[in-house]
Amino acid sequence: MSVFLTLWRRELAAYFLSPIAYAFMIFFLLIMGLNFYGVVQALADGGGNIQVMQAFFTWIFFWIPMLVVGPLMTMRLFAEEKRSGTIEMLMTAPVSDTAVVLAKYFGALAFFIITWLPTLAYVAILKLCGAGSAAIDYGSILSGYLCTVLVGAFYLAIGLFCSATTKNQIIALMMGFVLVCGVFFSGIIFAFITRDASVREVALLFCSVQHMMEFARGAVDSRPVVFYVSGAALMLFATVKLVEARKWK
Amino acid sequence: MDNMIEVKNLTKRFAGCAAVNDVSFTVAKGEIVGFLGPNGAGKSTTMRILACYLPASSGEAKVAGFDVFRHSLEVRRRIGYLPESTPLYPEMRVDEYLSYRAALKGVGSRRRRARVNEVKELCGLTDVGRRIVGQLSKGYRQRVGMADALVHDPELVILDEPTIGLDPNQIRQVRDVIRNLSPKHTVLLSTHILPEVEMTCQRVLIINRGRIVASDSPEKLRARLQGGREVIAELRGDKGVVAQKLYQLPGVTSVTAEEADGWTRFRIECGTEDIRPLVFEAAARDGWTLRELRQEKQSLEDIFVALTRTEQEST
Repeated sequence: MSVFLTLWRRELAAYFLSPIAYAFMIFFLLIMGLNFYGVVQALADGGGNIQVMQAFFTWIFFWIPMLVVGPLMTMRLFAEEKRSGTIEMLMTAPVSDTAVVLAKYFGALAFFIITWLPTLAYVAILKLCGAGSAAIDYGSILSGYLCTVLVGAFYLAIGLFCSATTKNQIIALMMGFVLVCGVFFSGIIFAFITRDASVREVALLFCSVQHMMEFARGAVDSRPVVFYVSGAALMLFATVKLVEARKWK
Repeated sequence: MDNMIEVKNLTKRFAGCAAVNDVSFTVAKGEIVGFLGPNGAGKSTTMRILACYLPASSGEAKVAGFDVFRHSLEVRRRIGYLPESTPLYPEMRVDEYLSYRAALKGVGSRRRRARVNEVKELCGLTDVGRRIVGQLSKGYRQRVGMADALVHDPELVILDEPTIGLDPNQIRQVRDVIRNLSPKHTVLLSTHILPEVEMTCQRVLIINRGRIVASDSPEKLRARLQGGREVIAELRGDKGVVAQKLYQLPGVTSVTAEEADGWTRFRIECGTEDIRPLVFEAAARDGWTLRELRQEKQSLEDIFVALTRTEQEST
């Protein structure tokens, strides 16, 4: 356990030791700020009776960054260690492959959550601007964030898997992006575009946009939780096997 | 259990081509063993297998009695390994890096700071503790790698080309560090710098094309491979007559002469017996002026070249 914590601490610290992480956070928060601004603007013009944060979690500017952050945050994790050779130092230390994979994963997840934290300011801004308690439902805001973390957990695991396949960060990023988009858009296409009602019903269970709409409304469903957690677990398992694969050659 | 390393019939194939081919050797506790061989001979591959980074294709390797494949974690706890290119995290500070590595290798938090300071002292890093690894020179990075390999006080230290990229002073320091490890630690180091091995190692393993071609102390290797001795005598006298007389000395197999600035240099090849006194007596008897008389020592370099070349020719 202490080995895992040591690894995890280094993985998390590594994000903050590189200037790219800060540039990334600024870019991310800029888009989220625009998203928030756009949502408030639209609702101010009379966009129907929907809560601000609920609209925030379901707008297109929420989803576009979500599709890239997973692969972006994880592309470095294994690829860079393989390229620079530090993987040899890491793997000859008395640590298990599983501990390494999990430490990298939870380091990325912690960074993902930290990146989201400043967006809590939007709630404070709404409060300061005198939005009534009817406009701010803390429960549904919390479940909105819960769904964000769940979706992120799955996409980060996909990104980590891709990073373990190559020593080139760009390849890891592209591969991760394609996989994440594949998961995301197949859900949307079959849920919203198909005419077949039975296909739609199944596809809605896998559709992240649908999940997000439900959670942002405050309706916490256990099925998406199981979907994202098991998806992440599957990708992590595959990553551990991929790291072990060097021993099969 | 006297052997730190036991390697039996170890083979490693990469895409059909054997990098290490049926290698067997043992290293006793406390020994400093030099792994010598030309580039691509299989030194690094063997070390990587011992460090549990690569699996062997066949054969067996044990460190401190633990199989490197089946009890990998036990083995890794007992070794300090410095890979060839000294990969380090460039964004960390030296202190940070060493204490991270110490924690990873199970040095308890109470002992950690003391241990890090000890290895920093040992490797000459006391002044650079606050520096960022990526900004250090190659020599310093190499020493950080050494410090990392030693930080958990491992029973076995495996160093892949530890002196590469260092200046002569630093090489001397590293050599001292390695020699001081000896009674408590076992050391396996690889290099292709031959004087290096002669000065630090008690035993040499010469590997070529994935096979061990020799394993002995530098002195014994020399004696074994020399076969006969070679004596150089430089003197003044009639070339033909002297050569004739020298050739008649017991055990002499050949005499060659070459002239330079009025002196004649004779190269006398003979059996295992030392004929230098006889040469001197002959010179005194016949009134040759003797300027130099010495036995040529075959250097490890000659042995190395001889061994690796015959191997190449025979395959």
